[in-house]
Amino acid sequence: MQDLFYYAGGEFMDFKENGFMYGLAVVVVLFVIGQSIFFMVRAFRQGKKIGISVKTMRSVIMSSTLFTIAPAIAILATVVTLAGTLGIVLPWIRLTVVGNLQYEVTAAQAALESFKDGQSIAVFGQNIKDPRIFSAVSWVMTVGIIFGLILLPLVLKRLQNKIGKIRSETNDSRFGDIISAATFIGLVSAFIGNAIAGKAPTIKENGKILPVGMGAGIMSVAVLITSILVVVALQLLCKKFKWEKFEVFVLPIGMFAGMAMAILLSNVLPESISMLEWRPAT
Amino acid sequence: MKNNKNKTYIDSTHTWGRIFSVSAVCVLLMVPVAICIKYDAWPSFNQVFKGLLKVIPIFWTTQILEILVYSPMLGTGATYLSFVTGNVTNLKLPCVLNARETAKTKPNTEEDEIVSTIATATSAIVTTVILAVGVIALSPILPKITAEDSFFAPAFKQVLPALFGALGAGYLIKHWRLSFVPVITAVVILIFDGNMGTGTLIPICVVVSIIGAYIMYISGFLTGGVKPKNPLKK
Repeated sequence: MQDLFYYAGGEFMDFKENGFMYGLAVVVVLFVIGQSIFFMVRAFRQGKKIGISVKTMRSVIMSSTLFTIAPAIAILATVVTLAGTLGIVLPWIRLTVVGNLQYEVTAAQAALESFKDGQSIAVFGQNIKDPRIFSAVSWVMTVGIIFGLILLPLVLKRLQNKIGKIRSETNDSRFGDIISAATFIGLVSAFIGNAIAGKAPTIKENGKILPVGMGAGIMSVAVLITSILVVVALQLLCKKFKWEKFEVFVLPIGMFAGMAMAILLSNVLPESISMLEWRPAT
Repeated sequence: MKNNKNKTYIDSTHTWGRIFSVSAVCVLLMVPVAICIKYDAWPSFNQVFKGLLKVIPIFWTTQILEILVYSPMLGTGATYLSFVTGNVTNLKLPCVLNARETAKTKPNTEEDEIVSTIATATSAIVTTVILAVGVIALSPILPKITAEDSFFAPAFKQVLPALFGALGAGYLIKHWRLSFVPVITAVVILIFDGNMGTGTLIPICVVVSIIGAYIMYISGFLTGGVKPKNPLKK
């Protein structure tokens, strides 16, 4: 078994963050980017064929890019959170493909607990020093999340055919539009409910239960209301002054405005008020 | 003719989606296999199995639910892409909804499918690039930006309310009648069980929202008091 650190090129290297691990990450990154470009080019060509204007598709790309930046930085913060235990590369790989903070921590913790055999007890929050434990963690993280990917090619076509059949049988386009809107509203409602009354999710670190982020409180409600109001105001302005080119930026600006409100409140209000959570983690 | 073309495009999307899903499984499995070979550090089957026993019942069930709930919302291409690149609820779905607002497409049309795929692919590329640049170029300063006491920390803790507030604004105002039932349901459920994960809460809210919308529709509440024919009765 190899040690945590080995001497290479005049400095001590962590086996979790060496060139080999970065090489693995590059393979995964290239795969994800390659797949995304492939699907995007196909969709773009088909879009042109059926008459969607290039301008509209470019707007979608621009708007999606802006909309992704802030959540992607939040995912980057997750990588940093996991890096203390797993090094920076494995969390980077895991969050480039299927994964999220709670799943990765749960899976890592479950794998670590399976090593409580009296020889090498490890808990999440400690730097993993044993490559055998590290490899077990990577196995559990991978196999635990792979099921959806195996299932998808087997069921998706059949599932969508069934849904299509139900849609065509109802033969009422207005009803179809309402159900489609209701589906999205259901999704959005879960997150709005969380901002109003949800507790912060927790992870177990060094044997202690710690909150990840914040529960519902002054901050979450203020951010929610700010983004809603900014979007509504900007949409009205766009409509009134016919700012068609600006419409693409409305939702991303609303999101950034909400986040800016969080920074403003935390700097202006006393901490006892700005950080007040009526649903703290338990 | 258009229908045939549409069928061909969707069919070939399924074919490519399947190829990429299988390839993704191989790429994912390559990581632990390569680590084991490189460090000669194969864990025992029992150790991995014990860990998996704690993870599989929850996460495999969640993954089945995710396919059932999110694939009709995402469309074909976006579903295949999202399930490889992850972060479906907190990033890919919002991005798809935003893109549909931008392009003003009608639900369940081929235009909708195209726009959703482009949005998901863009989001996956941007996320991957930000993660790569962040890890490789910004590793020394990254902890300072994302630290608990950094200037930006309050903003990163509130990404989801900001994102879904912005996204929900248009939907909630346009369909305010449809919004009451699922929002109130979510709040009431969370008052009783604040720890319920969004993975569980979303399917509940989606089902409640659809049932609520159906009842409102057939009772004439959404059609100015005029009761339409029940679309589910043959």
